[in-house]
Amino acid sequence: MSKTPEYPSMKSRTLTLTHDIPISKTKIYWDGLKEGKVHATKCKNCGQAYYPPQLDCPNCLASDVEWIQLFEGKLETFTQVYLKPQGFSHYESNYIIAIAKTTEGVNVMGWLEDMDVTVAHVGMSVKITAKIMPDGFPAVIFKPK
Amino acid sequence: MFAFYKVVRVFDLKIFLYSTSQIIKKYLDKSTSEEVTMKRVAIIGVGNSKFGVRSDATFPEIAFEAIKEALEDAGITQKDIELSVVGTAGNRLYEMYPAPIINEYAGFISKGPIRVEAACASGSAAVFTAYTAIASGCVETAVAIGVEKMCEVDPLASTAVGGRGCYLGEFHMFGTSFTAYYALFAAAHMSKHGTTEEQLAKIAVKNHYYAARNPKAHFQKEVTLETVLKSRVICWPLKLYDCCPISDGAAAVVLASEETVKKLRVEDPIWIEAIGFGSDTGNLARREDYTSLKSARIASEMAYKLAKVGPENIEVAMVHDCFTIAEIMAYEDLGFCGKGEGGKLVDEGETWIGGKIPVNADGGLKAKGHPLGATGCSMIYELTKQLRNEAGGRQVPLKKYVALAHNVGMVGQYCYVTILKR
Repeated sequence: MSKTPEYPSMKSRTLTLTHDIPISKTKIYWDGLKEGKVHATKCKNCGQAYYPPQLDCPNCLASDVEWIQLFEGKLETFTQVYLKPQGFSHYESNYIIAIAKTTEGVNVMGWLEDMDVTVAHVGMSVKITAKIMPDGFPAVIFKPK
Repeated sequence: MFAFYKVVRVFDLKIFLYSTSQIIKKYLDKSTSEEVTMKRVAIIGVGNSKFGVRSDATFPEIAFEAIKEALEDAGITQKDIELSVVGTAGNRLYEMYPAPIINEYAGFISKGPIRVEAACASGSAAVFTAYTAIASGCVETAVAIGVEKMCEVDPLASTAVGGRGCYLGEFHMFGTSFTAYYALFAAAHMSKHGTTEEQLAKIAVKNHYYAARNPKAHFQKEVTLETVLKSRVICWPLKLYDCCPISDGAAAVVLASEETVKKLRVEDPIWIEAIGFGSDTGNLARREDYTSLKSARIASEMAYKLAKVGPENIEVAMVHDCFTIAEIMAYEDLGFCGKGEGGKLVDEGETWIGGKIPVNADGGLKAKGHPLGATGCSMIYELTKQLRNEAGGRQVPLKKYVALAHNVGMVGQYCYVTILKR
């Protein structure tokens, strides 16, 4: 919790906001993560690929896509998070967030596992997979190839 | 006879078409010329609250500090203002609709308000809105108010609000934070251009040095290179002293048309020569590159073109150094040095007062503090003081009086570049 303020203060009433986020259009993606698969979309009309996946193509205004699975990529950049935000304090390890460029051309963000931050480097090849964390939230996972 | 008539008609038609095309051409020339479509806009008053952990005051109370100073600086009252624009990210406030609260508290009822939000660039978005309202001839005077209260909530909650740069694609799964976002850019910049942690640390040393000379800054102490390098890691490679603090604060800018400047006999108006704007993707995964902010390149190109100046003409600059790497990228994106040469520019000391291009002589976001919505207005506050030679112990020596403010929202999702002249 925050430090006690230096000057007189009073507490506000608590507001709890948890959203029911619609996933009907991207269900293939969220279901895929449970099976260790990471999907992007590709517009059937103009060929533009999207990650995170989306059904609507701002490039040609069509809404007809094919789902493509992403398998591997090369690290564009990464960081290790020591100060974790609210909602992630229960993760014991200091997770590594990375961005990889896939062979399909799109970039993907994920957690880099089984790798020391001092050994990780830009350009390194990673396998793209996914899993459900013990707290029930999904995560895209990168593993060194 | 008939044939002759035909020839004349064709000849007439040619004259008609030629003259019409000339009229259209003249019209197009006129309509694309700034003098015809845009009125000149000046800054006639500025105010800035003390930045820091302001547990002594609510957000309308700190906004009032800045507004009062700006009105008194302009020598006018609320009745002379036609429009108020409030810039705040506002997502850490107990009020969900802060603009009417500020408007009422500061005596601007029926003068707007327009509330604008562009994350960390909300203050510049407020200045831009006020500027265009005057430049278009809609109003003659306006006030841009930037305000943020960040220290009333738990710091880890604040980190989680900031980390929601893109919730669904990033925060939900990966626990991003603002430090993490910029750390991704720092790691890529270090890898591609050989920028070092020591060069990043030198930005912190410079900006703390100037904050210690700015009574309104959050931090009032200088730091050593060793202190910065030995501070704890927040998101590798960024350490505690690479990061701006979580601050409360407000700043206000009074803007007026050229006619009003003459009517009020303003002695020292500071002219807004141009405001350029740019943007980039919400998802960092959709960026082309992690060593530069495209929105800053677009915004600065636009501003330089409109103001008919180049980076070589800028004598004093305020850039968006929420993290030390952000200042290095700003040098490059604004053209103060070549791509990848930001670290070298720091090493050579060229961005200190006395160097080629003094940057963040007010302490920057890094050490003056970064109350999100306040920052854009606070940059204009500082540049106005600099251009009037009123910056005291942090005054940059000026010859041509051309200044630049670079205000980034999030990690380049927004960018505003403003060029001022005295």
